Amino acid sequence: MPNQSGNVYGLTVLSPILNGADGGVSHDCAIRDYLAKLPRDQRSPFAKVSSTHLARLVVMEDVVFVGTPAREEHLQSKYLVFETNFDGDLDTYLTRLARDAAEEVHAVWQHCVGYPGVEDPAAFAAYMKKCQIETTFFFAAVNNKTVQQTLRALKVQSGLAHFIESNQGKSAGEIQAAFRGFLEKVRHAPEPPAGEDEGHPHG
Amino acid sequence: MTNINGKTYAMNAITPMNAFYTPILKLIFFILGHVKPLQADLIQLSFIHFARWVVVKRHQFPRLSEKQPQEQLHYDYLLFFSNFNGSWNQYIDAFADVLSNGLNLIWRWSARYPGARPVTDFKRYIGLVQFDTDYYYTAYPRATTNDVKAAHRVSAALEEFARNSKDMAPAEFGGAYLRLVTQVQMDLGATGIGPVGA
Amino acid sequence: MRRNRRLAKTKGIHMANQLNVADIQGFVLSGYNFPFARYLLLELEGPQNGRDFIGQIIPHVTTGQRWDNGKPQSTVNIAFTHKGLARLGLPDATLLSFPVEFLQGMKARKEILCDTGRNASENWDEVWRKDVVHVWLGVNALTPAALDERCAEMEGIVRQTGGARLLEAQDAKAVFIDNQPTSKEHFGYTDGFGNPDFEGAVRHSQPGQGKLTKEGEWIPLATGEFVLGYPDEAGELPVAPVPHLLANNGTFMVYRKLHQNVATFRDFLDAQSRAYGGGKEKFAAKIVGRWRDGTPIELSPGAGDPEIVADPKRNVKFTYGEDASGAHCPLGAHIRRANPRDSAGFHGQLVNRRRITRRGMPYGEYVPEGEPVRDEDDRGVIFMVLNASIFRQFEFVHQQWIEYGNDAHQGSDKDALLGNHDGRGRFLIQGSTDPRNPPFVCARLPQFVELRGGDYFFMPSLTALRLMADNSVDPR
Repeated sequence: MPNQSGNVYGLTVLSPILNGADGGVSHDCAIRDYLAKLPRDQRSPFAKVSSTHLARLVVMEDVVFVGTPAREEHLQSKYLVFETNFDGDLDTYLTRLARDAAEEVHAVWQHCVGYPGVEDPAAFAAYMKKCQIETTFFFAAVNNKTVQQTLRALKVQSGLAHFIESNQGKSAGEIQAAFRGFLEKVRHAPEPPAGEDEGHPHG
Repeated sequence: MTNINGKTYAMNAITPMNAFYTPILKLIFFILGHVKPLQADLIQLSFIHFARWVVVKRHQFPRLSEKQPQEQLHYDYLLFFSNFNGSWNQYIDAFADVLSNGLNLIWRWSARYPGARPVTDFKRYIGLVQFDTDYYYTAYPRATTNDVKAAHRVSAALEEFARNSKDMAPAEFGGAYLRLVTQVQMDLGATGIGPVGA
Repeated sequence: MRRNRRLAKTKGIHMANQLNVADIQGFVLSGYNFPFARYLLLELEGPQNGRDFIGQIIPHVTTGQRWDNGKPQSTVNIAFTHKGLARLGLPDATLLSFPVEFLQGMKARKEILCDTGRNASENWDEVWRKDVVHVWLGVNALTPAALDERCAEMEGIVRQTGGARLLEAQDAKAVFIDNQPTSKEHFGYTDGFGNPDFEGAVRHSQPGQGKLTKEGEWIPLATGEFVLGYPDEAGELPVAPVPHLLANNGTFMVYRKLHQNVATFRDFLDAQSRAYGGGKEKFAAKIVGRWRDGTPIELSPGAGDPEIVADPKRNVKFTYGEDASGAHCPLGAHIRRANPRDSAGFHGQLVNRRRITRRGMPYGEYVPEGEPVRDEDDRGVIFMVLNASIFRQFEFVHQQWIEYGNDAHQGSDKDALLGNHDGRGRFLIQGSTDPRNPPFVCARLPQFVELRGGDYFFMPSLTALRLMADNSVDPR
């Protein structure tokens, strides 16, 4: 099943974008403008559909002319490329998109041909499947851990590093006592939010 | 720079293929998918989160309505999507250095592909066929693939240690704790801000 | 011919020296090993006078030819910033054909180099802050007298031609211990190992300095990694400015003046090693990956070994394959970061295009251990790097391997010694259950090294200097 690697599903969707313009702005530009302003961190619609590991949206304007003797040719429509890597099965994911990220999904896909709206998740899922292209070869470095397991593990990793550092040089008894407290904290830590970024040069 | 989110780069590429070659490429991918040792190099390069190749045959572009014009294409198209850590240059340099045979096997069917070595021509070709990402999301922007793998190892080690050390006396605990530290010591690098994508 | 070359490579045999050593500046091929140096930083006055000045300097420039009549008393080499080349009036098409990082200059590359905070240009020496350095005139000498004499001669040419103005003279000298020059630097480490071995290199090659073959043998790297105009490790002629005649046999040089906070370092070493189970010298060795006497910790995990240090066939010959956990040489140790060898997998292949030739000279007065020393005193190292591509080699190693740790599997941790920590750095020493080699976390690393200036230079061949002096650079 080439769309799948372990527990991760690699979905590739090409949605044809409506030609022409709506109120002076062409549909592909409208999508681009909207995406430029859409938050990419824990406020992202894909953070809400929290089974998403990594996802991208790309307006593909045309195919490429690589130079003679290759031929020049062009697409008749532009396509919205949606490439996503997520946990679980396809139907659940598409339903969650329609339900948990309804506003953002609508804002983007309303510019695409045949888009049925998000009110009926089943209709939306069927529409997306019509636009789905089978992934020919899918590689996933880590394919057996969910997003939540990964976020938790990252927190545990930094927590343990900090614990080791703070308790360096202490007696076995002291470390043992501290460890109990540490374990409690780890066990009861809240679910880390997906997409959270502590700030990087790109903002 | 919308191709980058945190420490991950989203690369998109599209190359035209003579339709005659498409079945050959599909066979190659089929073998790659089923003969795991061939993927070993990809795994060892350890800076790719997820990558995929998608063959779109010339009649396969989705058509959702009669009003949507029909595509009239001569070529099939090979789409490539990669999510990797490090800079564009580092990524391509690494592949050209150690995986050029694999790259050539996949892309030789694409029109005017120059080969992965020497790397300068290869980079020029990629520049031509790459197109930019408009929106990129990652659930763990501060973590590289190495960080993720390390975190899972640390988590598992901690769980096991917690189970085994529950009823230990302090002296025994001390020894077991030291062994835990030596077990996780390679995997404790801090996640955080990464370098500027050059 | 090519097939023979490949065969010869795999057998570890050097091809006959095919480098045009008379055309390549000696500094590119050899560090000279002279204990005294002065770097004259010049501003060029204008195209005409500037060319006269270069024309007068050419006969003095030391080439890569062997010294069959014994070492000269002093050597002279010259390099230019992009601004310098522009001041000389080189054609625009040539100027624009240089790599972008050289065009911008080191100061503008601060984001990539993490030259921020304490390393920011606001803290640099005035001569580097003001973007006026056009020429680096490097004089190396056997004695202070020879140094003064040669520099006076150079300054004479400067004055006579009116082609340049001396902005500053940066002195440097080896650390002397018991009146003997050593290759130590101010933190007490013996330096100068591990310069890459490439085909046609003048000096004797040492196993461990080149690249690893699949069979585990050491052979020289391709010349084009270090000198323009020769094939490089990617199997092509390296990207170079036009015309070829200007670029061939030349290379790029990075110059960085690194101030060393010796007091902070010594205090840190004392404080940390009290808590570290292996003792002070072992702790110092773990930071760098070599004991302070120069022994690679990978070859001798327990103690320094003068026999290994003294043996050129051994002192750089090692791999990390048996030490994947870092229990001997920590994964984040300086030399393991700067040259991962086989740590990166693929029997070292990923490292072959990231090698740099380092030339360095300490500056300032050396204070022996135990004697009072202050951070504010003017001392450190003039760090120079030679490579065919500043972006692909120096900048990459610095940005990805020194100021970052992902490839070393150390997350975002920086190099303990050189990293721009600003008090928040962390270094993890991997260890074992042996109490003399414990795992150990160093937290809140202070800043040991601070950048005080520098820039990117082009070091042309003798032919290129002649072209520049004659104003016959033609970019086609």
